[in-house]
Amino acid sequence: MKLFRSIRFNIILGALIAFFSALGTFFPQSPVSPNKVELYRSLHPLGFKILNFFGAFNLYQTWWFMGLLGLMAFDIVVCKLWNKPPDIGATALPPENTDEEEAEKRLSQKERALRLKPFQFSMDSSLSFDQAFKKASSFFEDHGYAVHDEFYSPSGAAFLATKHRLQRWGSYIAHIALVIILIGALIKALYGFVEMDPVMEGNAVAMKNRPWTLSVDKFTVHFYKGTFQPSLFSSALRVKAGDKLIGQKTILVNHPLDIHGVRFYQASWGAAGMFRTVTLDLGGTFLTLHQRVPKKVPGTPFSVTADILMPDFTVSNGHADTASLDLKNPAVRFLFSVAGKPTPPLWLFSLYPHVCLKESPDGTLEHAETPPFSLASVDPILFSGIQVAYDPGYPWVILGALLWVLGLILLFYLHRRRFWVLIEPRGEGETQFSIGAWSSRGGREFEREFNSLMGQMKSHLNIMEVPR
Amino acid sequence: MNPELILIQIALAAYWGATILSFIYLAYKDERLNRWMLNLLGLGIVFHLASFGFRIHSFWQISENRYFLPINTFFGALSYLALAVCVAFFVIESRHHLGILGAFVLPWASLSLGIAVLIASPEISGLVPALQSYWINIHPVVLMTSYAAFGNAFGVGLALLVQEYQIKSRKPTPLCYRLPSIEELDSLNYRIIAAAFPILTVGIIMGGVWAENAWGRFWGWDPKETWALITALVYAGYLHMRYMMGLRGKKAVYVSMFGFACVVFTFVGVNFLSGLHGYLSKG
Repeated sequence: MKLFRSIRFNIILGALIAFFSALGTFFPQSPVSPNKVELYRSLHPLGFKILNFFGAFNLYQTWWFMGLLGLMAFDIVVCKLWNKPPDIGATALPPENTDEEEAEKRLSQKERALRLKPFQFSMDSSLSFDQAFKKASSFFEDHGYAVHDEFYSPSGAAFLATKHRLQRWGSYIAHIALVIILIGALIKALYGFVEMDPVMEGNAVAMKNRPWTLSVDKFTVHFYKGTFQPSLFSSALRVKAGDKLIGQKTILVNHPLDIHGVRFYQASWGAAGMFRTVTLDLGGTFLTLHQRVPKKVPGTPFSVTADILMPDFTVSNGHADTASLDLKNPAVRFLFSVAGKPTPPLWLFSLYPHVCLKESPDGTLEHAETPPFSLASVDPILFSGIQVAYDPGYPWVILGALLWVLGLILLFYLHRRRFWVLIEPRGEGETQFSIGAWSSRGGREFEREFNSLMGQMKSHLNIMEVPR
Repeated sequence: MNPELILIQIALAAYWGATILSFIYLAYKDERLNRWMLNLLGLGIVFHLASFGFRIHSFWQISENRYFLPINTFFGALSYLALAVCVAFFVIESRHHLGILGAFVLPWASLSLGIAVLIASPEISGLVPALQSYWINIHPVVLMTSYAAFGNAFGVGLALLVQEYQIKSRKPTPLCYRLPSIEELDSLNYRIIAAAFPILTVGIIMGGVWAENAWGRFWGWDPKETWALITALVYAGYLHMRYMMGLRGKKAVYVSMFGFACVVFTFVGVNFLSGLHGYLSKG
């Protein structure tokens, strides 16, 4: 327990979490980029085995990383319960006592206590004891201080004057907030889910975590002029439980659909090789083809079939492939035949009308002469990547976040100041003031404020300072 | 030539002028130098603001970008950061009158804008759908404001180290008498970090709320998020060491400077690691 109580241990724990978090950013993480993890595995098989044993590729979900976070939460609670911050502003003067003789003794204790305060001031006044007490406490009240813990006896009086007392609670609130945020994360890990559902336009898929089906009636994507940078993509989404429609919305990035806390996000989109039609430009006349439906080329002995689409055409190991599911370089394969006899398939590109690749029977590609026709347009069937997420911990995270903000505002933006004021009669209608002060910020800034306030107090009480 | 670029080059020249004046001020205690430095800095800020105005104007020519701030590119972000550092310095300077600190703070702002103008591309592009959210006007702005404050704290820390070296060496130069005392610099370093730390964490939380709305999760251990968390942890460590364990002076400054190194890495280095938060990413 002693270990958990020490702030040093907590700081070391924080440093460890920071270190491992940092480490995780230098390795591909399988939940985010599984392809890169696979690439790593194929490039460094041994290194991958060793690193994977320690969970380097899914670091943030390993038991030991979660354990560190949990330990941190536990430690924050323990640390906060056991350690009072070195908060001189929370101390009172020694307790009061009604017994005359005892009170005398206590007063000298108060004086000793005052001498320990970081800022001190003392002065004599010609006011009567009663007047001095009233005037001094009203002076602090006029300057926005709360006057409390008043103590009055014929041999001396004392009070405390405090401003922005709430500052003290900031630290507690902020630490509780952190624990609430971590609890929220735990709730999500235990009861929440995330799934990715690619849905072809016009199709429906069943969800994995709920007995619901998603259908995308229409998927729309717009691009910025002359680029492949999408300016908007959206899905007309319907969610059904059995035959019953439970939700319907055109979702966009940043505008999800919410059904009882289950949220449907427009996460991605792409082309998976399907298309409705392609159009061939036969030197002025156009021929529209459906996928895998042969058609006769008018005025020739040829018949032609458009069979597959590569959305982001690339050549890997001499074969046709796609680099991604984005429509960055669409290419379509055409199969020609003369009187039932097939000729080698040709690849045509919508971005490069003069390029044509010929595919040999083993699938390798070679450049072919520019044919007298070109690919005029492609109407691909796109899929919409719908991410479905349920996070019952989210309200807790938000509550924690709000408390955190509140706590930090109190802690760092409020300036708590406290004055300890001791007033003692000095005979013949004279009174002596001894004042100690503390501020949560301290330093030069408060020193200036303290000096100016004491100057004002002096003129307010119309008294002369007596050097000690 | 594009008026935005002309204005920003004038601002850059003014910032460098102010930086050079602040260095001369280190050597010659002439209050006029300090005044000119501040005037030049103010002039730079005005030109910078005007340039930013032109940038906003051309950014909004693309209808999808309308009413969002042009800070999605490295150029826009660096330019905004330099502006924020200068404004933060202006505010701290006018409150604390420590003109001598200019030499420790202004080089970073000038450097940041210099990199933007010389290296980054000022081209304007349409926002990807993930960034078309009012959060883009809040989340990065809040974070960069805290970065700017941390940059100022770094400058103050640097001054503290110089002062400490001066005092320890047997032959203190006149600079020693010009720099504020170690206690004052230490307390100012702490004050700036204590003010900026809540802003940093609020910025991170806002990012979480945005991510929940755009990507379906509050926290996803994306490198940018992770490094922002690391930065917050380091500064939290600094605050605890100083407040609870009484760490002061040089050692405290080293911890805070490590925090600033994390800020720089979060801002620049992570672009090489992150797909989601990179300035060139698809979002």
